[in-house]
Parts: sequence; C-alpha cells; structure tokens
Amino acid sequence: MSLTLIVLLPFIGAVLPAIMIRAGRNACATATGSITLLALILLMAKAPAVISGEVFQVSYSWLPELGLNVTFFLDGLGLLFATLILGIGLLIIIYARFYLSKDDPMGRFYAFLLLFQGAMVGIVLSDNILLLLVFWELTSLSSFLLIGYWKHLPEGRQGARMALAVTGAGGLAMIAGMLILGDIVGSYDLTVILQNADLIQASPMYVPALVLILLGCFTKSAQFPFHFWLPHAMAAPTPVSAYLHSATMVKAGIFLMARMWPVLSGTPEWFYIVATAGLVTMVLGAWIAIFKHDLKGLLAYSTVSHLGLITMLLGFGTPIAAVAGVFHIINHATFKAALFMTAGIIDHETGTRDIRRLGGLLNLMPIAGTIGIISAASMAGIIPLNGFLSKEMMLEEAWHTMWLDQGWVVPLLATVGAIFSVAYSFRFIFHVWMGKPRDENLPHHPHDPPFGMWGPPALLTVLVVLIGLFPAVIAGPLVAATSSAVIGGELPEYHLALWHGLTPALGMSVIAIVVGALLLMRHGALISATANLSRPDAKAMFDCAIAKLVALSRVISDNLHNGSLQRYLSVMIVASVAIGVSGFYAEPDHTAGTRELLDVSPAAAIGWVLLVVTSIAAVVMHHNRLLSLLLVGVIGLIVSLGFIYLSAPDLALTQISVEVVTVILMLLALNILPKETPKESLPGRKLRDGVVSIAAGLGIGGAIWAIMTRDLPNSISAYHLANSKIEGGGTNVVNVILVDFRGFDTFGEIIVLGIAALSIFALIETVTQGEAAKRLANWVVSNRRSADRHPMMMVVATRVMLPLSLMVGVYIFLRGHNEPGGGFIAGLVVSVALVMQYMASGFGWTQNRMKVNYHGMIGLGVIAAAITGASAWVAGLPFLTSGFVHVHLPIVGEFELASAMGFDLGVFLTVVGAVMLALAKLSQVERMAEHIDVNLDPMDHDPSVRIATPEKEA
Amino acid sequence: MPFIVELIISLLIVIGGLFLLVGSFGMLKLRDLLPRLHAPTKASTVGVGGVLIASMLYFWVERGHFTIHELLITLFIFLTAPITANLIAKAYMLLNVDPHSDLPPSKQNEGWATFDPVGPEGYDPSEEYQEKEN
Repeated sequence: MSLTLIVLLPFIGAVLPAIMIRAGRNACATATGSITLLALILLMAKAPAVISGEVFQVSYSWLPELGLNVTFFLDGLGLLFATLILGIGLLIIIYARFYLSKDDPMGRFYAFLLLFQGAMVGIVLSDNILLLLVFWELTSLSSFLLIGYWKHLPEGRQGARMALAVTGAGGLAMIAGMLILGDIVGSYDLTVILQNADLIQASPMYVPALVLILLGCFTKSAQFPFHFWLPHAMAAPTPVSAYLHSATMVKAGIFLMARMWPVLSGTPEWFYIVATAGLVTMVLGAWIAIFKHDLKGLLAYSTVSHLGLITMLLGFGTPIAAVAGVFHIINHATFKAALFMTAGIIDHETGTRDIRRLGGLLNLMPIAGTIGIISAASMAGIIPLNGFLSKEMMLEEAWHTMWLDQGWVVPLLATVGAIFSVAYSFRFIFHVWMGKPRDENLPHHPHDPPFGMWGPPALLTVLVVLIGLFPAVIAGPLVAATSSAVIGGELPEYHLALWHGLTPALGMSVIAIVVGALLLMRHGALISATANLSRPDAKAMFDCAIAKLVALSRVISDNLHNGSLQRYLSVMIVASVAIGVSGFYAEPDHTAGTRELLDVSPAAAIGWVLLVVTSIAAVVMHHNRLLSLLLVGVIGLIVSLGFIYLSAPDLALTQISVEVVTVILMLLALNILPKETPKESLPGRKLRDGVVSIAAGLGIGGAIWAIMTRDLPNSISAYHLANSKIEGGGTNVVNVILVDFRGFDTFGEIIVLGIAALSIFALIETVTQGEAAKRLANWVVSNRRSADRHPMMMVVATRVMLPLSLMVGVYIFLRGHNEPGGGFIAGLVVSVALVMQYMASGFGWTQNRMKVNYHGMIGLGVIAAAITGASAWVAGLPFLTSGFVHVHLPIVGEFELASAMGFDLGVFLTVVGAVMLALAKLSQVERMAEHIDVNLDPMDHDPSVRIATPEKEA
Repeated sequence: MPFIVELIISLLIVIGGLFLLVGSFGMLKLRDLLPRLHAPTKASTVGVGGVLIASMLYFWVERGHFTIHELLITLFIFLTAPITANLIAKAYMLLNVDPHSDLPPSKQNEGWATFDPVGPEGYDPSEEYQEKEN
C-alpha cells in the first residue's frame, strides 16, 4: 500500500501548491516540500529491507483484458532512482523557493514539478510495462510544462516544444517496442519479462523490439543523434534544469536501459548500438561543451557527455561495467545537480551566465565558489572525489573492450572523452571562479546567496566528497543492491576504492588530466582555430524537418479533406452502399420475410405521399436555401408523425424538438449566407449524384423491408423489454436503455455533444476576429430591415409562455423514466422555451438578464452524469449501475426514485448548455453582420411608454 | 353514452371539420398574402377548437376521466397563431409596402411600428426605459 502511496503522493499533492500559494510563497514551498518529504520517508522506511535483497510488490487490476494493471515493485534499482528523484527533488524545491522571483507564478511551478516527480517515480516503480509507458508519456508532458514555464520567452516555448517532439516521438517508438516485447513473452509484467531473457533474445522480433525501445531511451536520455534537444531545454528556470538533467528526466532512458539490461543486453546488436551511441555521445558532448560560453550550455553538453558514458557502460554488457554505470549514475546525479544549482546561483547573483564575462568569483562568493569548484573537480575526475572513482572504473572497462576486434578504439576514444571532460570542468573552475573579474559592469554586485540557495548544493557536495573518500561505506550497499537488480544475478567481484594500484586506467586518468589542463591553457587558440569549422545547427535542422513534415501533412490533408461536403457525403454513401451490396451478395440465397403485411391506412398513405412530395420538392428547389431548409423541416415533422404512427412516442418527441431547434439555429446561419446556392453541378455530376442517392435509398429501403418483415428471435429488444422494469426501475424502455442499459454510450454521447458545442464556440470565436471579422464589418444588409425587431405581441406572448413551456420541460423530464420523455427531450423543450425569449427580445437583452455560463452548464452536465455513474462504486457495483427506491409522499402519492434521474439531469444540462452556446455564438456573428447594438428595451414599441409620454408633455 | 352528448360531440366534430375545410379552401382560393392570412384563422380557432372540445367531451363521458390536454393545446394555439400571423404580415409589409405612399399617418407620437423605430419628434423610447429602471 505504501508503495502505491509513494507514487500517488506527488500527484495528489500537486493540487496543494496551487492552493497554498494564496497563503504565501513560504507556505507554498513548505507544502510542496512536505509532500516530497513524506514520500521520501515512506521510501526510506523500505530502504533497509530492499538493500538486504527484499523486493516489495503491490498490484491492483485496472484493465486486465489488455494486460494493463497497476502494479508497482520496489527493488534496488527502483530504490536508487526513487531516492534520487525524491531526494534531489526535495533539495530542488527548497532551492527553487529562493531562486524564483516574485513575478514568477510559484504555485504553478510547484504543481508542475510535483506532477513531473510523480510521473518519474511512477516510471521507476512500475512493474507493468504498459503502466510504465503511461508514466513515460506523463514525464514528456509534464517536462514540457516545466521547460516552457517561462512562457513569455520564445526560447522557452521552442525548447519545450522541441523536447516534447523528440521525447514524445521516442516514446511512441518505445510503445511499439514494449508491445512487441510483451507479445514475445506473453506478459506485460516486468518481473515476468525479466525472467525470460533467452526467450526474448531468441525471438526474431528481438532486433525490432530492441531498436524501438532504444529509440525511446536514446531520445529521452539525449544520446547521439538525438542529443540536440537537451541544450535547448536549458531555457527553463535553473531548478528545472538541475532537476531534469541531473537526476530525473534524462536518467529515465538510462533507467530503462538498466531495467531491461538482463533481457536485452549481452548480444552483439546491443553492444554495437548502445556502446557505440554512448561512446560517440560522450566524446561529442564533451567536445562541444568546451566551446560553450553559456554556463548552462556547458553543463548541458557535459550532461549529454556523461549520459553517453553511462550508456556506453551499460552497452558493454558485462556485469562489472553495469556496476560502474550504476555507480556513475549516483555520482553524476550528485555533482551535476550541485553544479546546475551553482550555475543558477551565479546567474542569480551576477545577472549573467556568460563565462566570458565572469571570473574571480571565488573571492566574492566564497561559499558558492567552494561548492562549484569541488563539484566541478568531481566532474573532471580528480582524486579523491566520487567522479574519480566511477571514471576510473569506466576507463578500466574501456581498456578491456574490443570494438570490431580492435582493442584500441574504445580506450582511445574514452581517454579523449575524459580529456575533453577535464578541459570543460577546468574551464568551469578557472574561468569562472579563479583569476580576476573580467567584467566590472555586471548587472548585479555578486555576493553569496541566502542559505536556502546554497544549502542544497552544499549538501550534495558533502556527499560528493564523502562518497569519494569512503565509497564502500556510504554508497557500497546501495550500489550493491542496485547492481544486483540491474544484473539480475550474482554480483561480479569489485570493490569501490580510491586506490587500485598502478593500473592502465590510472595512466589514462593522468593523461586526461594533464592533456585536459593543457587544452584549457590553449583555450583561446582552440576557439579561434575551430571558429570557422562548420557546425550543424541542430535547431535549424529540427525546425526545417518539422516545417517539411507540416507541409507534407498539409498536402495530404488538403487533398483528402478539400472542404467539399458533397465529396465527403458521396464517399460516405458510396462506401456504405458498397458494404451493403457486398454483404448482400455474400449471402447465397435470399428469401422474403414471413411476417404478414399490414394494410395501408389512409393516414399512413397521406403521410407517405407528403413525404415523397416534400422530398422531391427539396431536390428540385434546393437552390433556394430558405425553401430547402423549410422543406427539410417539413420532412422532419412527417418523419416524427411516422414515429408516432409506429408507436415510438419518444422518438417522435425527440425528432420534433430537434427539428425546431435546428431550424431556428440554421435560420440564424442562413441570414448571413447568400440566398441562393450557386449552380455548380454539371449534368454528369447530377447523374452521378442521382445514381448514388437512388442506390442508397433503394438499399436502405430494402434493408428496412427485410428487417421489418421478419421476426428476430434473438433480438436484444426482448431482453430490454423484459428487464426494463426489474433492472432499471422504469417502464419506458427507451429511456431505461438510454440511461441504464446503454448508459455508458449516452455518457459518451453527451461528452461528444459538449465537445461539439465547444467546437462551435471555438470556430465562431475565431470568426469574430481577423479576416472574417473584417468581412462581417463590411457586410451590406440587402433587405429592408424591420424597425420593429422585437414586436410587442411576440414579446408578451413568449413571456406568458415561458413558465408554461418550462413546466412542460420539467414534466417531460420527471416522467421520462416511465412514460415517453426523459432528459434529452426535456433539455430540448427547455432550450426551445429559452430560445423563444431570445428570439423575442434579442439575444443580448435576454443574456443580460439571464446570466448563465453555458460552458459551465455543459461541464456540470457531464460531471453530474459522471458522479451519478460513479456513485454506483460506493455500493461496490460497476460504473453506471442504477438503483431505485419507491418513495411515498403525501398528496403526490407513491413514485419511484431512480438514480438514473441524476444521470438524466446530466443529459438535460448538457443539451441545454450545448444548444444555448450554439445560439449565443451564432447570434453574436449575426449582430456583427447586421451592425446592431444590444437593445436596451425588451420591445421596440412599448404601448405603455407611448401612452405615458403625452401625459408628461401635458 | 346518452344521445344528447353523442349529438353534441358529433356536431362539434362536424362544425370543426367544416371550418378546417373552409380554412384550407381559403388558402387555395385567396391569391394575395394579406387576404390569405384570414383563411387559416378559421381552421385554427373554431376548426381545431371544435375537434378538441369534442375529444375532451368524448373521453370525459365515454372513458370517465377528465383531461386538460385539449385545453392546453387550445391555449398554446391561441397564443401562437396570432403571433405567427402578425410576423408574416410584418414581413409582407416590409417587402411590399412603401410607408410613405401606401400608408396613412399613424396619428400617434410615433410612426407605424414596422417602419419607424422612433417617434416623429425624435422621441426615443429607450431613454424612457432607462429612467424607469433607475
């Protein structure tokens, strides 16, 4: 249980900072910090057991049919990462409290940070790989929010977008890889997958799965050639950079490679892909870092380089290399987080991050300087700090590694990488802290920051030193537990110590330090020598690629989706005709139905003739838009008569009210369209359209004929009819189907309805600005307009009818469960009642008197339906199970109260909200086109006022 | 059912039917819109009303329960039909009538409603309203 809580706490707690910010910045930071601290304490309570080899597991079923379950497990690897995420997270929270300025919205920052933290903890504790993917995508999304936190800065937005695009694309590849992996093993549980290394590696799908998963890891961990997003993500506030790029986001890829190490590693494919990518990234990142003048840029590329180092170690595929990789994960997290925070301090105190303007800061900021120098020395791999230990182990492993049977490639490149690493680390030390101040006119006068800012990096630096001095004592147990989890078997022989004797690795280290220092001394010459080298600009390439993709998709969608409704309709109808015809011929013999046919009653005959006549009239007169709308309305009314004739009063009621509402809304839209549609169809096209529509009509008619002349023995209707009263507590089967049997469908439908209404809002909202607004402003009204837009008779009558119509709505709503009616129809009736008021006195006038937020109404409706559905959970029943009770009230008598009524209320609210929102936006456009202001009076000619005036004159 | 009630019901249905027929015939017979507006009024008042009252009586006497549905339907029709006619007439006037040559003066403080938003002396009713609300 507490394992689940560790994951959930940050998510739940993400609400806190948003609320607590009202109580002040300290309260906000404290609330956020205590959430993380609580999760960390829960984790630490389990740490001793995990280190001694125990594995905690917890599991809830979520979607067992898909193999997706909420299962978490905590082993050494999970413990290490969760500790890093929560521990460094806590330090970052403290640091950020002092880093963020008063103008930054702190509540939002902490909320995003906690969301991100929760997603990261979710990744490292997930046992189910599908669940892991969910958290993986969550980190991409929440890191997008964090990187783009300063949304007023274009770099921030672009960097965030790039990070999201790259890591998101990698995530998609990884989903495919994970699905393949799950398919090979037959389970999506990591614990099961990890047991099946042989099965996976023998599978023909091993290589595709490996490549896809590695794509996800490499993009996330910024491995070459996907490393370019990381430096651009530096536009984020420094606490974000420190968090994302030392301990969390970029380590997610590393984590996954470590997690999958037992099943995926050890093959040549793994070695050549992973180790090579790591090696290239390490050297390339370190090389670029030397030339970066921006402090955070330097650290960003150094992060890329160190991630490459870890990737390379994991890629070697030997247990001892994996141990070295794990150890370096710890070391890198400690010194890099401290360095980022130091860079933030420098930025904060001096106002610049440009190394060329800094120098001699040690005298001005002794505390920050000490922290920065020690961590940078660790990054360089100077004895006796922790960076030295893991770098020694890396060089040792590199020394033994053959690449394409060549023994010199890896050691040489590893040494080169180490040289560059020393060079940029020393640059950070000497060009920033030592020497003389290079620029006297810094924006601020630098001095040491408050304790809150230097405390967190100082703590990390203490760790850097302690791990360096006493590696076996401080980090030994954690490294052992983690490594055995990564390796999934016996630990190799190793010991963490400063001195291993005169080994080749020591020689390589010495070379690295000496050459690196020399390189830095010639830094100026190096810069001018390489100044003219062409460097591929990753951002330009990325932007260009994105632009090409956008252009390509635009070509595709413009050609398929050309805006011609006729084309879409014909494609749809032709497709359904084709499906119907193929179905018809798939069946060898066709017999007529056995049901006896009814006589044609005169009423039915008249209705049929009317329908045929109006349909033909609609075809003939469709060029006149108003006429065709009226004809369609008439057709709708005849159809509803047909429903009544066929004993479907619910459908008839719905059809009538829908007809009324749509005709009114369409009339509003018609007003700003030309009165006639242009004649665009050539004879050939008319013929084609005629053939298509006749075929579709005959097909539908035939299908209905076939169904209505048969008894369907296994029809679901029989079940519904039999169980409506018993199970759903209502005698109106149609309504019980809507709110109970198929309640989930209805739930989806009202959500779609709400979305449609919001889309109408969004579409028309854009019309009121820009080009379309200009056209509306220049609109010339063609007809003579009535001076009496709000006639007295209409106004008075609608006022009188409002309570009556509302009563009808309530009546239909209440009886809906047992008699024809229900929330949908009631919603439409009430909408019509309100629409009448709007028609009578104008939208603006009415709206000023009826201040209802229709967006909120739609949302409220969906929420009401959801709450009703979810309340079934309280009773331990599935979503949307309805319950009902018999209630006896004096006067009213006995009646049933079904929980479905709450659901129906949701439907009702959504319908009213959707109709009113559409009306509101359409009438807004109308007002713009007609150049009229909101009227102040309910009616234009008020007799009471007219009579009053002469008296006043007298 | 007593004969007298049956007779009344029958009479009501026949009268209602007759007026409905006359109304429909009028729609065909009358050619111009304004005269034409008169035709459906026959159908919607006495025509529909007769049938509805007949229905009410029938169910009251025959089935023994009194319903007010018919009264409500009548009420709604009586409320809506005049407004429909009014709006149709207004639309017709806007399209076909010239207020200066075809209409006599209104002899009021303001002109004819459909054509004149404001009274002849520049009187604006909205000011009056604002005073009222204040």
